[in-house]
Amino acid sequence: MNHDPFQWGRPSNETYGAYNHHIANASVRETDHQSLDNFPKMNTQQPIITGTSVISVKFKDGVILAADNLGSYGSLLRFNNIERLIKVGQETVVGISGDISDLQQIERILDELETTEEVYDSDGGHNLRAPHVHEYLSRVLYNRRSKMNPLWNAIIVGGFNDDRTPFLKYIDLLGVTYGASTLATGFGSHLAVPLLRQLIPNDVDYVNVSEEQARKVVEDCMRVLFYRDARASDKFSLVTIKRSAEEPDTSYTFNFEKELKVENQSWRFAKDIRGYGSQQQ
Amino acid sequence: MNATVASEYSSEIHSVPIEHRFNPYSDNGGTVLGIAGEDFAVLAGDTRQVEGYSIQSRYQPKVFNVGDDIVMTANGFAADGAALIDRFKNQLQWYKFDHGGKKLNIKSAARYIQHLLYGKRFFPYYVSTLIAGLDEEGKGAVYSYDPVGSYEREQCRAGGAAASLIMPFLDNQVNFKNQYEPGSDGKKKRELRYLTLDEVLELVRDAFSSATERHIQVGDGLEILIVTKEGVRTEYFDLKRD
Amino acid sequence: MNSIAQRFSHSSTSNVLNEINQAQTEFAGTPQLELAPTIQLPPISQPTDFLRAHTDDASNPDCKIKIAHGTTTLAFRFQGGIIVAVDSRATQGNWIASQTVNKVIRINPFLLGTMAGGAADCQYWETWLGTQCRLHELREKERISVAAASKILGNLVYEYKGMGLSMGTMVCGYTKKEGPTIYYVDSDGSRLKGDLFCVGSGQTFAYGVLDSEYKWDLTVEEALYLGKRSILAATHRDAYSGGSVNLYHVTENGWIYHGNHNVGDIFWDIKAQEGSFNNVEG
Repeated sequence: MNHDPFQWGRPSNETYGAYNHHIANASVRETDHQSLDNFPKMNTQQPIITGTSVISVKFKDGVILAADNLGSYGSLLRFNNIERLIKVGQETVVGISGDISDLQQIERILDELETTEEVYDSDGGHNLRAPHVHEYLSRVLYNRRSKMNPLWNAIIVGGFNDDRTPFLKYIDLLGVTYGASTLATGFGSHLAVPLLRQLIPNDVDYVNVSEEQARKVVEDCMRVLFYRDARASDKFSLVTIKRSAEEPDTSYTFNFEKELKVENQSWRFAKDIRGYGSQQQ
Repeated sequence: MNATVASEYSSEIHSVPIEHRFNPYSDNGGTVLGIAGEDFAVLAGDTRQVEGYSIQSRYQPKVFNVGDDIVMTANGFAADGAALIDRFKNQLQWYKFDHGGKKLNIKSAARYIQHLLYGKRFFPYYVSTLIAGLDEEGKGAVYSYDPVGSYEREQCRAGGAAASLIMPFLDNQVNFKNQYEPGSDGKKKRELRYLTLDEVLELVRDAFSSATERHIQVGDGLEILIVTKEGVRTEYFDLKRD
Repeated sequence: MNSIAQRFSHSSTSNVLNEINQAQTEFAGTPQLELAPTIQLPPISQPTDFLRAHTDDASNPDCKIKIAHGTTTLAFRFQGGIIVAVDSRATQGNWIASQTVNKVIRINPFLLGTMAGGAADCQYWETWLGTQCRLHELREKERISVAAASKILGNLVYEYKGMGLSMGTMVCGYTKKEGPTIYYVDSDGSRLKGDLFCVGSGQTFAYGVLDSEYKWDLTVEEALYLGKRSILAATHRDAYSGGSVNLYHVTENGWIYHGNHNVGDIFWDIKAQEGSFNNVEG
């Protein structure tokens, strides 16, 4: 303990060694083997193969999620056939961005969950729905972060609540969760969310939005992301989960579209781009 | 060594780790406020959740009715806050199972939360926690905590991002700090009295609309949970969304 | 070779099951109510560095988790017993977290503990000390001595030495065997018996006043005033001390509370009465 009046009660360097700024600030710094040795033991230090944004939106009768099929290795566009939307149970979809190996671990966890909840639920009294899947994943991710061994992902869960209203919520590697009518992970939270919020300014307004409107904006978002996100591709998957108009309480459709292309691309704007900001010609 | 500059608000400077080493904490902003009256207590929080400069959600409630007429919030790092509240709710259930549905009084709840927080003394929950309810005599009670569980019963307390903006206002308006009787030449202090529920709700709304004006992490909506002997009820007001 | 094979065959299910089980137990566990608590550590190789990096706002004002700290406390022995006086401010960095902290913890009707350093550490462990003292009473059918009580606390903090606890506390009490007794216990593990201690960031200012006026033969009234006056001096010059003064007198019949004195009020009273604090106008 430090007895200097102004440092009183604080840990003294004699006892604890010098203050380690790297932990608290966790700043971006060149990583080399030496510096890692000086650092506390950790598990996933950084993602390797990554998937970029997942975007999602609620509409009147359901939700739409979209994610492209690219797996990047740094700046190398390494795989172009990664499916990042996962169907869980009958009427829930999970969209995952971030590390692909951790995505696969989550896929296995969800598989197991589905087996225990659906297969062994012989009396059929319980349905595995989006809020349950979301709560479950948030526990898994928070638990991992508390072990300092994170699953390096940001996840969006879409589906229905028990009362058949659309459900959309987010979880990230720290276990932070939140819900909204428009959600996107990664780069999408900067580029796509403003576009989505233009359609749904207030969270409650999704009830006025039709599937066609929502789908159009999602496709616009995928296009904008392809233009500006260097880790995005123009091949993507899109899931629409929708209550049927006739029997909204029991019946729904789950439409999984794969290998979609970003349509109506126009690169005319590209020739006018000169560097950034105020730089002229 | 990194040069560090003392910042006025705790969360103003932070560097975001991008693809390098894992920092298990983040700051999700927002602010909360609790006031105790004679026979009621309120706990209010804004509904914005942020990460860095992005607004993640405009409606993500963070004040909860945890049962037994106790309301609770844990503001700061959202995942820790949610985990703490979930654990408390869970333990409250166990308490009920073990004691034939007995009601947990707020004094015991307060002590239990200290144990939950201190149980992570060396890997703290990054939250400022508040609970509110009625004590054994039916008087309003607010308890506030630091991240590792030191706690105190108070008349009022603001926590979270804009605590430094709201707390001085509360000192003045709830505890009448630095208020003197007019004409007494600063000699006679204004006498303390309990505020009515309507006065308190006015104060809460003023506090939050003012904090919204001056703090980037506060806004969107205000949710107030009110505990009276009739039980818990919720009121919602819009805040500015800029 | 076998171990490697084992790790990779059928491992996916068991790994996944592990993951699932752990996530469930974290939240669904039954309450843990043992007297000696278990405290979770960050699961990394340098947990103390981790804790300090995130909580030591003296070394890094931008660190996120700011733990409430308490500041000036004093206790001294004199012919009439013990005087304990403390301020009531808690700071988190430059922010005054509270002006109304209760820094004297009433362990039992004959024992007081003071609180300086980490507010939670003191509050938690001195409450815990209270339970240990009560258990001692139940087992031994007599009140615990101040020496024994302070040693329980001293041993406890020594177990945690180097982990980052921060407490500077005085255990003050009266027993037939010992008379009025003060032990100073801090988180380095020191445990010292003495007549007079000041603890906290304002300790030097309090010592200055206390040492110059202190004598064994003070009357109770003089002693209470001296305690209050010393804390007042500390609140005046130490930015991390302030709020109000809480006063206690420990006698053979247990402790007596002598009220809460707001610094804003007593400062002007004492200045006028003593003709002191001439550095301040008005």
